[in-house]
Amino acid sequence: MKDGAKRHAVGQPAPLIDGIEKVTGRARYTADLDHGDALVGAILRSPVSHGRILRVDTSRAEALDGVMAVVTGDDCAVPYGVIPIAQNEYPLARDRLRYRGEPVAAVAAVDAKTARRALDLIVLEIEELPAVHTSDEARAPDAPRLHDNKPGNIEREVHHVFGNPADGFAQADLVREASFSCAEVNHAMMEPHAALAEYDPERDRLTFHSVTQVPFYVHLTLARCLEMDASRIRVIKPFVGGGFGARTETLNFEIITALLARKAGARVMMRLSREESFLTHRGRPQTDVHLKIGMTGKGRITAVEAEVTMAGGAYAGYGLVTILYAGALLHGIYDIANVRYDGWRVYTNTPPCGAMRGHGTVDVRHAFECLLDRMSRKLGLDPFEVRRANLLNAPLFTANGLMVNSYGLDECLDRVEKASNWHERKGRLGPGRGLGMACSHYVSGAAKPVHWTGEPHAVVSMKLDFDGGITVFTGASDIGQGSSTIVALATAEILSIGIERIRVVANDSAVTPKDNGSYSSRVTFMVGNAAIEAARAMREKLVAAAANKLEADPEDILCEAETFSVRGSAQSMLGFEEVALAALAAEGTINVKGTFSTPPEAQGGKHRGGAVGATMGFSYGAQVVEVEVDRDTGQVMVKKVWAALDCGYAINPLAVRGQIEGSVWMGMGQALSEETAYREGLQSHAGLLDYKVPTIVESPDIEVFIVESIDPNGPFGAKEAGEGALSGFPPALANAIADATGVDADFLPFTPDRLLEAMRKAEKARKREAAQ
Amino acid sequence: MTEYMPEFEHLVPASLDEALAVLAERPDSRVCAGGTDLLVNMRRGLVEAGTLVDLGMVDALRILKQDDTGLTIGAGVTLAALLKADLDWSQLNALREALAAVAGPTHREMATVGGNLCQDTRCLYYNQSEWWRRSNDYCLKYRGETCHVAPKGNRCRAAYCGDLAPALMVLGAEVSIAGPDGARRVGIGDLFAEDGADHLKLKAGEILVAVHLPRAEGRSTYGKIRQRGAIDFPLAGVAVSCRGRDDGLWFSLAVTGTNSCPVMVEMPAPMTRDDAADVFFRDMSRRVQKAVSPQRTTTVAPHFRRLSVSALAARLARGLAGVADP
Repeated sequence: MKDGAKRHAVGQPAPLIDGIEKVTGRARYTADLDHGDALVGAILRSPVSHGRILRVDTSRAEALDGVMAVVTGDDCAVPYGVIPIAQNEYPLARDRLRYRGEPVAAVAAVDAKTARRALDLIVLEIEELPAVHTSDEARAPDAPRLHDNKPGNIEREVHHVFGNPADGFAQADLVREASFSCAEVNHAMMEPHAALAEYDPERDRLTFHSVTQVPFYVHLTLARCLEMDASRIRVIKPFVGGGFGARTETLNFEIITALLARKAGARVMMRLSREESFLTHRGRPQTDVHLKIGMTGKGRITAVEAEVTMAGGAYAGYGLVTILYAGALLHGIYDIANVRYDGWRVYTNTPPCGAMRGHGTVDVRHAFECLLDRMSRKLGLDPFEVRRANLLNAPLFTANGLMVNSYGLDECLDRVEKASNWHERKGRLGPGRGLGMACSHYVSGAAKPVHWTGEPHAVVSMKLDFDGGITVFTGASDIGQGSSTIVALATAEILSIGIERIRVVANDSAVTPKDNGSYSSRVTFMVGNAAIEAARAMREKLVAAAANKLEADPEDILCEAETFSVRGSAQSMLGFEEVALAALAAEGTINVKGTFSTPPEAQGGKHRGGAVGATMGFSYGAQVVEVEVDRDTGQVMVKKVWAALDCGYAINPLAVRGQIEGSVWMGMGQALSEETAYREGLQSHAGLLDYKVPTIVESPDIEVFIVESIDPNGPFGAKEAGEGALSGFPPALANAIADATGVDADFLPFTPDRLLEAMRKAEKARKREAAQ
Repeated sequence: MTEYMPEFEHLVPASLDEALAVLAERPDSRVCAGGTDLLVNMRRGLVEAGTLVDLGMVDALRILKQDDTGLTIGAGVTLAALLKADLDWSQLNALREALAAVAGPTHREMATVGGNLCQDTRCLYYNQSEWWRRSNDYCLKYRGETCHVAPKGNRCRAAYCGDLAPALMVLGAEVSIAGPDGARRVGIGDLFAEDGADHLKLKAGEILVAVHLPRAEGRSTYGKIRQRGAIDFPLAGVAVSCRGRDDGLWFSLAVTGTNSCPVMVEMPAPMTRDDAADVFFRDMSRRVQKAVSPQRTTTVAPHFRRLSVSALAARLARGLAGVADP
């Protein structure tokens, strides 16, 4: 234990508390919920990229036997969106269609066959409009406009300057520029989308189950779009099979399912196909990065300029946050005083993008770490030394006002450098093989949430009752990342009890406190701290009861392994149950709560958009990737990965390890093979055969190193662990490929066709040069 | 909504004759073995079949016999069973490698040799949902008028993507077929035609019964270009065999994934001691490049598929000949 504290529950590898249900198949996901009597929901989708709706005639569908409800854009006139100032999407299109696959109408019927027939009976008349599918097309002077109030199809442009970039470049010995194009990717979470809505017409109440990461947003959005009093709605999140940001925003199918249930006055089960789950999208946008870095001969970064353009899809969604993150997270990892950032989030006639693991930072970090590598080579410097020349010295505030209190990047570098035997092996692996490295970081929760209410970020409540059990209530969504286990471990630690005594009840708005949800890696930091505070309040009550019973001062009460004793006296020991009953005797069932709020100084700079990127603490990572490239076929095989992550403190090292491996692996997917592909706006990656998530064959040995910098504000010193390692992989791979082949590629992913083409081009260029 | 399986009648004949009788009686019937290709396509609305004739109980299709004359593999033998079978594999390396390269382990448990050979051709514009294809005005292969891959052409360019066919071709396999007019036996290459919408030369009511491999000689291998090491169909795959004769080394090559049928690429002359290896294999590579015609049937560029498979072919052939890479 780096901070020297003696602990019994946290800091040791613990299986997830819901693991047994998952591995035995007992866990019930939304699509598994009993829906014997539920109607089947189905959605009619736009066949065109861009069009004006002339007529939606649902009369024949409504007349079909077994059809209980049909809804169209007429059934919801309230726009929604995750950002309160950028709500421009309707659950079912009204007037305009903006992407192929956009929901137009939906039916609820007695069975799937009837629902499908009903969809076929809906008449949709469209006047097709010219469409734009890429950011270049969308930004062309004569491009059709997707939203009347968004000239140039720009959702948001950002222009930030910190320090003096011109001066910085003037001080540089080497200035290099490069452009990178990173393909759009999707979360491809294992569980396809589903929702179950039950409407009680007599009482005007709605009970809603969904796959969401943020039940709070779903609750608010349903109330908004259905124009219902929020108190009449109950939102429950069952087991969820992954999210990665896909389910942070409330999604159109969720609202549609609720609209159908209300119209039918019944229960409606909506299960989307994999194709529809892809169409619902909210993935990482196709991103063009033009980057310029100035560097001294010793590797010190003097200035950075980045231009970033994101093809964001047809609606605003999270767009403005994504484009702000891309600029904000140029900061916070290295000591850079002079930074210019220009970002454009562009509307295109494709499914809307959104938040995805490593939100906003991955493609920019890729460009940055690749360019650092190229400049290191040019200057004859070791890439590790270049990073070391630019380390931060925490605590500090960055040029754009981000708070950094703990920083373990130096140790991460040391660990992977040593483990990979970098200096002995680099450049000596033989033809077609190479080593590359890169660094990364990520926020531990947004210090200021997009839906700002002034409330605490997290509330955890806790109950002790006659059975001696501790029940912890949290609104934090465990979507597989292990957040409920974190809550249980933190509670067990503070109360000095076994985890078996604890039940975590999560995500039922009728029971659990509101939580801002599982996104931006906020849960461990914020909910963990709230759980600690709640447990401390509970402990105080127990200690008071024990002190009373032992006729001692509460200050002198020791509490260890479910026993209470007076310091220095071994004779009088009380068991947990005894003390619990004594505490209950005084006041009955004990309910306590803990909260967590971020201080104003953590909430970012005062410039417009300055809150995005601001956080209580950053995780830091360094990675080394070893690769083998087939020069005949362009195929890339990742042989080995060394990944170190500073997560502050590993409350559950087993889960941290899993998150680091998962991040590396997801980064590998984006770097090797994953990408969406559209043919005239029609997605041709509609299944897991064509959207190429890596298989076990591609999965390399990943050696994980957990670095603990002990953040002063983190729960037990912890920071995030679930995203930071992702963005290090693609550039580490790119740098390894450059080492193996001599080719500096400007694209992601490194599919064999692209790489072979790049190698052939490089070969031709070499021959041309040699001939001259 | 989750893709909806259309209704059909499921019949399970106990013998080959019974199966043939059902096919003769019911023109809307389709035979089904492992279902890894057919059922997926049915869910997507690509197959209209009132009756599925399940061949799972027909013992005659599960024969697996190796003797002095060669190897007979029943069409109903699963890929996993064949891989695990106690055979003399020494001369059948291409087949073993091709078997192991098919999809993933769970697919191989269900999928059969006959099903793999008779699988439908594949295309970006075809293997999509009903909504997708309707939004794109369907295509020449099914319900539509235009081939979106080659709009000016008059035939479907969907690609044949079976891994086993090229391996069996270079090993000199024949297939036996049962049908309303009796049994027949043809070279495996004659099972296929270069037409994505009609690539199998099985007549109405016929069933593929078995594959027959002569006693093999020489060495063989199979390689596959794909983005992922499992699950993926071949972007291109190539089987190579090499037989030593008095006059030199004779090579046979067959390529899959690039055309609407597997393509045989014969080397017209053996590699002799006098040949410069580099020249010989460069010529081989060029022959493969010339013989194949990959189209925009996948998201991966046709040019890449042509280049990579020809390079792979030469590399595999070098390996068989024991000639080091250049």
